[in-house]
Amino acid sequence: MRRNIRVFRYDPRQAGSGHFDRYSLEVGAETTTTILDVLLRLQQEQDPTLAFRFACRVNMCGSCGMVINGKEALACKTNVSEIPAGGEITIRPLNHFPVIKDLVVDMAPFFEKYESVLPFFEPKREGTEPAQIRPDSRERLAIAGATECIACGCCVSSCTMAYYHEGYAGPAALNRAFTLLADSRDGLFAERLDRALLSCYDCRTEFNCTEVCPKGISPTRAIKYIQRLALTHPAEESLPVSPVEEVMEQIRQPLDRRAWVAGALGAGAAAVLGALGIGAVAGPALSKTPKQWVPVAPLDNLRAGDVTTAPIHYDIQRGIYTQRVSVPVLVSRTASELICFNATCPHLGCTVRWDGHSSRFRCACHGGNFDRDGEVLAGPPPRPLDRYVYKVDSGQLLVEVG
Amino acid sequence: MNGNDNPIEYRKPLKRGELDPHRTENTRIGMWAWIWQRTSALALVVLVALHLTLTYNLLIQFLLLLTVTFHAALGLRVVLLDFNLVSVKYHRALIWGLVALGAVVTLIVWFKIY
Repeated sequence: MRRNIRVFRYDPRQAGSGHFDRYSLEVGAETTTTILDVLLRLQQEQDPTLAFRFACRVNMCGSCGMVINGKEALACKTNVSEIPAGGEITIRPLNHFPVIKDLVVDMAPFFEKYESVLPFFEPKREGTEPAQIRPDSRERLAIAGATECIACGCCVSSCTMAYYHEGYAGPAALNRAFTLLADSRDGLFAERLDRALLSCYDCRTEFNCTEVCPKGISPTRAIKYIQRLALTHPAEESLPVSPVEEVMEQIRQPLDRRAWVAGALGAGAAAVLGALGIGAVAGPALSKTPKQWVPVAPLDNLRAGDVTTAPIHYDIQRGIYTQRVSVPVLVSRTASELICFNATCPHLGCTVRWDGHSSRFRCACHGGNFDRDGEVLAGPPPRPLDRYVYKVDSGQLLVEVG
Repeated sequence: MNGNDNPIEYRKPLKRGELDPHRTENTRIGMWAWIWQRTSALALVVLVALHLTLTYNLLIQFLLLLTVTFHAALGLRVVLLDFNLVSVKYHRALIWGLVALGAVVTLIVWFKIY
């Protein structure tokens, strides 16, 4: 079947940002033709200037990592048949590495990060030789296939955090650190852990590295393992501090746009939340609620000798929103006087009711009892019932709230 | 070409998705989980602000509850994976499982209250 192929081209003598070249190739048996075979044929038959890197052709050396149809993979391990039948094949160099030419990237940053976690085995000074670690031991099974890494760089290319966090060692280096940290024979445990812990918290658990690894390794799992080591091995000394010059250099660098936008967004959100929080918490306390007169009932409806429960409704401003308050007022009218009680129990704020049979105000919550004048007869209330200031205006009883 | 001794110039590293027609298909579920948790965190800032101003608005209450649950489900997934309480091989199932569990609990709680 004939396949259209788009290959990223970059000519280091012309610089610029690169472009895609289109090719068309008759691929015979797609299930046995790899992307690497396709590239070799393109180079031999159509364009001898096409540059790419490969060596072993059998998934062992890790030289031919590239982005094939949006996914990092080894060109020698990806068959043409894995791309939807008849679909276009797009081949790009790995992300996050400087491009030297076409599909060839500079892996130097990869190996710098790799070296930062001391990727070599150093035996302990003491201990019995040879060390005996059975293949079915817990330790060996935990490390499992993580030692199979061929340093192809696919995981670092897929990891967005490797791009955004400059000091991040990245999935491959941390996976390597894991294989050694989990090894009981390792003599550099403390030094390695110090270095790995410095950057392992830049992982955001996206699993991109795990998805693309051509060797089926999960660097995410390795990074989580290292993070958990911090729980069982608390740092004995403070972590190394960057030299002053480095810090100063960072301060001198102009703020880039992304950092500025992120900072502005964060500051804006913090300001909004802070203002609202302060407003909501402190507002009611600071602002004096204006006193207001609220009508209770016509005076004629309140018979002498009765205790009447009359609901009142009014609005109060709480910070930035208006609250509608509906509370009962207990009006006790005798031949000589009139008292308007606040029905809120002075104990814990339940609503007090008038019990005509025993001629008492009762609070159902904790058994508080008050007499007709609001004095405490029984129960926990610390003081008599509160009273409203009232007035009578053209036959209407009003109480002052606020 | 730059003016130094190096006759060739490397292209600055490509970013993920740059010049990539397959950008969205390259974004897989684990990355979506992270993106959506970040997005829901921003949504929470807005919803909490609205909730403070319009406390008894049922729609805002419901959206806030839903967003909190969604954000918490994805956060719980990361906690479970961080502490190895669930193996990383189940990380996809955790996303759907926890979000679905959260949605069910949210709806039960909502209809119990209202």
